[in-house]
Amino acid sequence: MTALAAAGLIVVGAGPAGLAAARAATDAGVARVLVIERDDEAGGLPRFCHHPGFGWEYSYRFESGPGFIRRLLGALDRDRVQVLTRTTALALRPGPEIDIVGPACGAVTLKPQAIVLATGIRERPRAARLVPGRRPERGVLTTGQLQQMVARGVPVAGRRAVVIGTEHVAFSVLLTARRAGLQIVAMVDERDRVMSFPLLGMAVRHALGVPIHLATRVLDISGESRVDTVTLNGPAGVRRIACDTVIFTGEFVPDAPLARAGGVALDPRTAGPAVDQLARTNLPGVFAAGNVLRAVESSGFCAIEGASAGAAAAAFVRRQTEWNGTAAPIGLGTNLLYMVPQRWAFEPARQLLPASLRTRIDLDRARVLLRHGDEIVWQSLRRSLLRQRRIRIDLAGLPAGLRGTPRVITVDAVT
Amino acid sequence: MTARFDIAIIGAGVVGCAIAREFSRYRLDTILIEARSDLGDGASKGNSAVLSTASDTPYGTLECRLVTRGHERYRREAPGLGLPIVTLGGLTVAWTEAEAATLTAMQRAAVAAGFHDAVLVDAASVYARAPHLARGVVAGMWEPEEAIVDPFSTPYAYALDAVANGVELRSASPVTAARPVDSGWALSLPTGEIEAGLVINCGGLRADAVDALGGNTDFRIRARRGQFLVFDKSARPLLDAILKPVPNPASRGILITPTVFGNILVGPTAEDIDDVDDWRVTPDGIAQLERAAETLLPALLDHEVTTTYCGLRPGTEQPEYRIIPRPERRWITVGGIRSTGLSGALGIAEHVAGLAFDGMIEAARKTDIVPVRVPSLLDDGPRPWHEAARLAADAAYGEIVCHCERVTLGEIRDALASPVPPRSLKALKRRTRVMFGRCQGFFCGARVQAMFDAATTSEAAE
Repeated sequence: MTALAAAGLIVVGAGPAGLAAARAATDAGVARVLVIERDDEAGGLPRFCHHPGFGWEYSYRFESGPGFIRRLLGALDRDRVQVLTRTTALALRPGPEIDIVGPACGAVTLKPQAIVLATGIRERPRAARLVPGRRPERGVLTTGQLQQMVARGVPVAGRRAVVIGTEHVAFSVLLTARRAGLQIVAMVDERDRVMSFPLLGMAVRHALGVPIHLATRVLDISGESRVDTVTLNGPAGVRRIACDTVIFTGEFVPDAPLARAGGVALDPRTAGPAVDQLARTNLPGVFAAGNVLRAVESSGFCAIEGASAGAAAAAFVRRQTEWNGTAAPIGLGTNLLYMVPQRWAFEPARQLLPASLRTRIDLDRARVLLRHGDEIVWQSLRRSLLRQRRIRIDLAGLPAGLRGTPRVITVDAVT
Repeated sequence: MTARFDIAIIGAGVVGCAIAREFSRYRLDTILIEARSDLGDGASKGNSAVLSTASDTPYGTLECRLVTRGHERYRREAPGLGLPIVTLGGLTVAWTEAEAATLTAMQRAAVAAGFHDAVLVDAASVYARAPHLARGVVAGMWEPEEAIVDPFSTPYAYALDAVANGVELRSASPVTAARPVDSGWALSLPTGEIEAGLVINCGGLRADAVDALGGNTDFRIRARRGQFLVFDKSARPLLDAILKPVPNPASRGILITPTVFGNILVGPTAEDIDDVDDWRVTPDGIAQLERAAETLLPALLDHEVTTTYCGLRPGTEQPEYRIIPRPERRWITVGGIRSTGLSGALGIAEHVAGLAFDGMIEAARKTDIVPVRVPSLLDDGPRPWHEAARLAADAAYGEIVCHCERVTLGEIRDALASPVPPRSLKALKRRTRVMFGRCQGFFCGARVQAMFDAATTSEAAE
C-alpha cells in the first residue's frame, strides 16, 4: 500500500480545476497536497478530447485536451504534490474529514486542514432527458462515453449516428465520430437555434452536408441489440432516421453527489456548491472550483478558478486567513440565471474567483451592472448577451470599498 | 447422441429459475433452457421490486396461496443466498371518503383472509410515516410486512444455486419444436435435439407459444405493459415506505417506493398491449408517471430521473395463474404469472415440484447441497472495501469503476467469471449495477464495455 503523507490540502478531482488548484496551493506555500482522482489517469474530461482549444484562458496556448493536461501535470511540484489515481472520495464530513478508497491506499479516513472539491461535470444521459422508446443494448451514448470509447480503443461498431444537441460539445462530436468511423447523419435540438457559434452550424450544414433539425424532439428510439431507428418530431413533421448510434450531447450538470451528501449547500440555480469569492462553501475548510460549480465553462476558465481556490485554500491551511462564515448572498436581477460566486464576504482578500454569470434570456445592447448598496461599482455595455455565453467579471479589479463595507451587492443585466 | 434429461424447464425467468433450483435438490438431470442470451430477461426484468404479502391478490385463488407461500419462503431462504430484504411496510393511501370506505372494506377482507397485520390508520399516522406525501390524505392502511427486494439478483441467485447443484443452464436457445417420444419429449434447440421425460413450460410472455409446441392451447398471453420512472438517489430521503393507491377494478394503480438500490421508483402504468415485444417507454406513460409523482409526492420533481423502463406482465384471459399439470402428456404448464412472479416464485416452485412428484417423476432428495451466495447490491449494505482483509488481499476491491453505483473492478471481474456469466452488457448491469446510475455510463461505460468484450472474447477463444 502506498503511504499517504499527511497532506494539509486534499484536492478531489484531477481535471483542470483540481490540477491548477494543487499547483497554486504549493506556490502559496502548502507543504503537502494530495490530489485524488477516481479515474485510471489524471486529466478529467479534457483527457479524452483530442481536438485543440483547451486551456486557452489559462495558458494562452493552442492545445488539445491531453496537451493541456500534460502541461498542468508537468507544472506540479512532485515533491509536494501526490496524485493518486483510481482513488474515490466516498464521503465528506465537517472537520473537514474525508473517506477515500483506492487500490493503492486502501480505505482510509483523512483529516486535512482543507479540501478543494473539483469533481467536474457530466452530461445528462438519454434517460434523464425522458426520451421515450426502447433501450437497445448498444448504440445510445453520451459524448463523454463516445470520447472515452475512442480514446481507450473500445470499438463503437457503428456507422450512422444522430447527434442530439447543438452546444459546442456537439460539434466536437463530429471530430470524435470521424475517428470512430461514424458518419453523422443528423443533428437535432429541441431549441430553435444552434446553441454553439452560428458559424459552426452553417459550416456543418453546408460544408459537411449534415442536416440540423431545430425545434425538434426525439419521439422514439427503436432497436433491441442495437439502435436501428430514431423518430423525430419537428416543424417538418414526423420523420424516421435509420441509424445505429444516437449520441446525447451537452446538457451538462455538475457532478456534485459527494458535496451534496456531505452537507455542502448547493445553489439550486447551478446545482453545484454555492461559494463565496474565495471559493469557500458553507462547510469550514471545504472549497470548490471548476465545473462542479456550474455547467459549463471552458477548461481554461476552470483552471483559473482552480488556481484561485487553491491559493485561497493555501492561505487557510497556512492560517493566514480565518474561516469567514459571514458571507452575504449576492442578489441577482430578474434577467440573470445564476452567478458564481453566490456570496460575498466583506474582507480584504486577494486571489478571488473570476465571477461567471449567465442571463436567463437573450438581450441586445445590454448593460451588466454590479451594485454595492446603491453605488454601481462595475458595469459593462454589451452588444448582445446570449443565454449560452458566459459573462465574466474580474472581481479582483473591483474598488476597495467592496472588500470591507457590508452593503447589499446585486448584479443585473438591463437594456 | 441426443442428450437426455429427466426434466426440461423452458424459460429462465424468475419462476423457471426457482423451479430449476427446486429440482436441483433431487437426483435428477435437469436442464433450464432460455431463448434469450440471459436469464431474467423477459417479464422478470421489469417490475416494482416489491415483495408482496399477497394481501392484494384475489383471496382464495392459487395465486394468493402461492404468493403467500412464496413470500414466506423468500423471507426464510433469501438471506442465505445473499439476497437483501428491506422491510419498509406498505402504506395504501385514500384521498377521498369513497376511497376510505373501499380501504376499510379492503382491510376487513384482508384480515378475514388471514392477513392479520393489515391495520387502518388515520391521516396523521400516514403523514408520520410519509411526511413528504401531498396534503389531503383521508385515511390509510398499513401493512408492516411489505418489503422491497433485489429483482435482478433474485433469478440470478436461483439460477446460480441450480447450476451449482447440477442443473444445466442453456441460454440463447429458443425451443423451436417439441415432438412426443417414448420417454417424453424431444425438443429442438439451435444446437440439435434434446430429450426430456417431463417438460415444464415457464415461457412467461411466450408461455402460450411454448404450450402450442406441445399441442396445448388453453390460454393466450395478454401482455400488460407497466412503465416506471426511477428517481435519483438524492430523492431517497423523501420516502421510507411503499406508497400505494387504493386499487380500482381496472388496475392496482401507480405506487411509489424506494428500491434496495437507493432510488425512488414510480410506476407501473397499466396498458394492455397486443405485441409481447413492445418494450417501449412512451410519452404518454412518462407524462402519467410524472403526474402521479407530482400528485402524491410533489418534492420528487425536484430530483433528476435516473432512468425509465417498462415491464411486460404476462397475463391471460383470466386473473389467475394458469398452472396446468398434464400427467398423461408429461408436461406442466406454468403460465399467467401476471405481476407476482418475484414474490410467488418459491411458492410456485414448491407447488410445481409437488405436481411433478405426484406421479410424473420419482427421485430421491440429495443430502449434499452446495451453498451459493450472490454479492449484495444493497445501496447502504456492506461493500467489498469495508472488509480490510479482503481489500488487502485483492486491491481490485478498492478500485471503483462505476462511480454512480460504486461498483469496483473486483466485483465486475467476479461477475464476469461467474459460473452463470452475464451474456450481454445488460446482464452485467443487472449482476453488478454498473452503468445503472445517474450517469448511465458517461463515466464508466467505455471501461466496462472493454472489460465485458475482453471477457466474452476470451471465453469464445476457449
